[in-house]
Amino acid sequence: MTGATFAQRVAAIAAAFTLTAGAAAAQDLKIGVVNPFSGGMALYGDEMTRGYDIAADQANAKGGVLGRKVVVLRASATNPQEAIAAVEQLIGRDKVDVLSGTYVTAIANAASEAALNNNKLYWETNALARDLTDRGLPNFTRTGPDSTAFARRSVEGTLQLVIPKLGKTAKDMKVWIEHEDSAFGTSIAKEQERLLKEAGVQVTLGSHSARAVDLSDSILRAKNAAPDLWLSTGYVTDHNLLLRTAREQSFRPAAMMLVGTGDTFETLESVGKDFLNGILLVSYPRADVSESFGPGAAAFLAAYRAKYNRDPIAPQAMSAFVGFKILLETIAAAGTTDYEKVIATVAKADKPLGTYETGYGLKLDKTMQNTRALPVIAQWQDGHVKAVFPKEAIAPGGTMLDLGRK
Amino acid sequence: MADLANIVAVGILLGGIYALVSVGLNLIFGVIRIVNFAQGEFVMLGMYGTYAAYTFLRVDPYLALVVVLPGLFLFGAIVQRLILAPLRTEPTMQIFATFGLLMLLENVVLALTRGTAYSVTSVVAQTSIGIGGVQVGLVRLVALAAATGVAVALGLFLKHSMLGRAIRAVAQDRSAARLVGVNVDRIYMLTFGIGAALAGLAGCLLTPIYTLSPQIGTSFILPAFAVVVLGGLGSVLGAYIGGFIVGLTEAFAGYYLDPALKHAVLFAVFIAVLIVRPSGLFGQVGAEEVGLRDQS
Repeated sequence: MTGATFAQRVAAIAAAFTLTAGAAAAQDLKIGVVNPFSGGMALYGDEMTRGYDIAADQANAKGGVLGRKVVVLRASATNPQEAIAAVEQLIGRDKVDVLSGTYVTAIANAASEAALNNNKLYWETNALARDLTDRGLPNFTRTGPDSTAFARRSVEGTLQLVIPKLGKTAKDMKVWIEHEDSAFGTSIAKEQERLLKEAGVQVTLGSHSARAVDLSDSILRAKNAAPDLWLSTGYVTDHNLLLRTAREQSFRPAAMMLVGTGDTFETLESVGKDFLNGILLVSYPRADVSESFGPGAAAFLAAYRAKYNRDPIAPQAMSAFVGFKILLETIAAAGTTDYEKVIATVAKADKPLGTYETGYGLKLDKTMQNTRALPVIAQWQDGHVKAVFPKEAIAPGGTMLDLGRK
Repeated sequence: MADLANIVAVGILLGGIYALVSVGLNLIFGVIRIVNFAQGEFVMLGMYGTYAAYTFLRVDPYLALVVVLPGLFLFGAIVQRLILAPLRTEPTMQIFATFGLLMLLENVVLALTRGTAYSVTSVVAQTSIGIGGVQVGLVRLVALAAATGVAVALGLFLKHSMLGRAIRAVAQDRSAARLVGVNVDRIYMLTFGIGAALAGLAGCLLTPIYTLSPQIGTSFILPAFAVVVLGGLGSVLGAYIGGFIVGLTEAFAGYYLDPALKHAVLFAVFIAVLIVRPSGLFGQVGAEEVGLRDQS
């Protein structure tokens, strides 16, 4: 063997390896997911990503997207700084094609900007704050409902569900709006206040810190105002404490409605099914919605149970599943993962409500927010959460319980 | 009038919770003279210990005391011996070490629970008593009674028992105590263990009130510092009375002003008291040097 021949062989082998590696990389459509997979929000970061995994499995069972296998790669972020590092890791080390998330608005905010700096798409499925789409980032779109949609749905529920049920008119209806005092709770409460006042409802606003050790003052203030409806936006622990304190203080308004949380086993375990019975919940559509409202919801539930051997922990999973499914459909339609072409493709989409498992359709406004993604109103019924509004979402045989706090 | 009575009741009951959390913190400060930043995390561990006993041993949260109190005492003693004792000549580093312990414990529990919020139920937690228009949760009443019992028992223990006298001797002058044959290192270890056990007691009694999260300890520690500084550093009675001052201030500010402003008002009062009486209401001047008060 001469030196030249050896060198040629080494070069040939190296070239072959490079081609093989390149071909393998080209085969996978890598989607990087930024979410809290450790720390206090890991439960929900995981739960959302389970929705992505199911959507990827289903796409792969049909041959993948653009002829490539869909691979979901995770990077954990519990704050904005970690979000930037997570994006850099996913793009630099894992060579992902696009990015998706997110359970927390602040993480979505930083991660999407970092994605833009790297010319990558950031596909948002869950984070709520309206500000995310108002920024006008060219690589960003959101398929799930925003905070405004939650506020609007809660007001619709008040006007179309609670007021008739209580035999009241808007003008003699008194609503206490309680909210935790960060941007999440405040933005929803302000929109609720505006819309309810427009409808002529009497409104009082109260706020609290989600980290407060005691919330008796908030409950006593609300009790003193004697509202017909107590409408609250908060996180899990403060909602649990508010409800326990309400029970302790015998605060039982004619109707109670929780926005954002209060619909999982964590609240059931804390407060108990007797006190929860009849309480309304504004939340992401759950897998128990009727098939005519959310076609395929039952199949999603079956797929979740088959993969994880349990029921979904929270409704965020199905909303994430739908968002990811829309992402894969859009990439297939665009024929590329280039963010400008993907965004241009999804901007033209026009699908009616009731297209997806969550009952969502797809029609983006100019800020790239999906205007056909709406939460539903559910109700605690004997330890279970059942959809009760809009009426098309109610499962066969389902009904709404009395709102009366017994 | 009913409003006022309700707010006073809420403030006193909240004060009982704060007093319960703060007594151990003040004992540790009074004797070992370090500010234990991890005291809130000890309360958190007490809560999770109660949850574990409730879930795995199927015992009522209040009965979990039998397991949690010795467990936390042992844990506190080990922490003192392994982490704080080697730093005894570096008081500032001891404080940083307790801060490190805070972060360590919080993050370990975060990793183990993955942030899932747990709760326990007790018949007591679902019972509230109406007295003349004032509604009182039985579980908070139990916490208040326990705080009162603990303050009295600790005072008696320090004053009349042999070990209590040894603890006071170390608090007042560790060199003199050592000269008369008191094993100072052992007293430090026992005191830290007792302080941790008191946090465990608070954890047990508060578990039926709160939803457990790994961060709950840090929610308690800020008002607890206000309690011990207002009441007087190193004074058991001060921690007890300070609890009510903080509880009532929060309740009045939260109800009559705005719940979002109650901590701002509390710390305005805190600063005002410090300006007028730097040693707190029941502390004595130079408590950081003198330690636990003799009258405790």
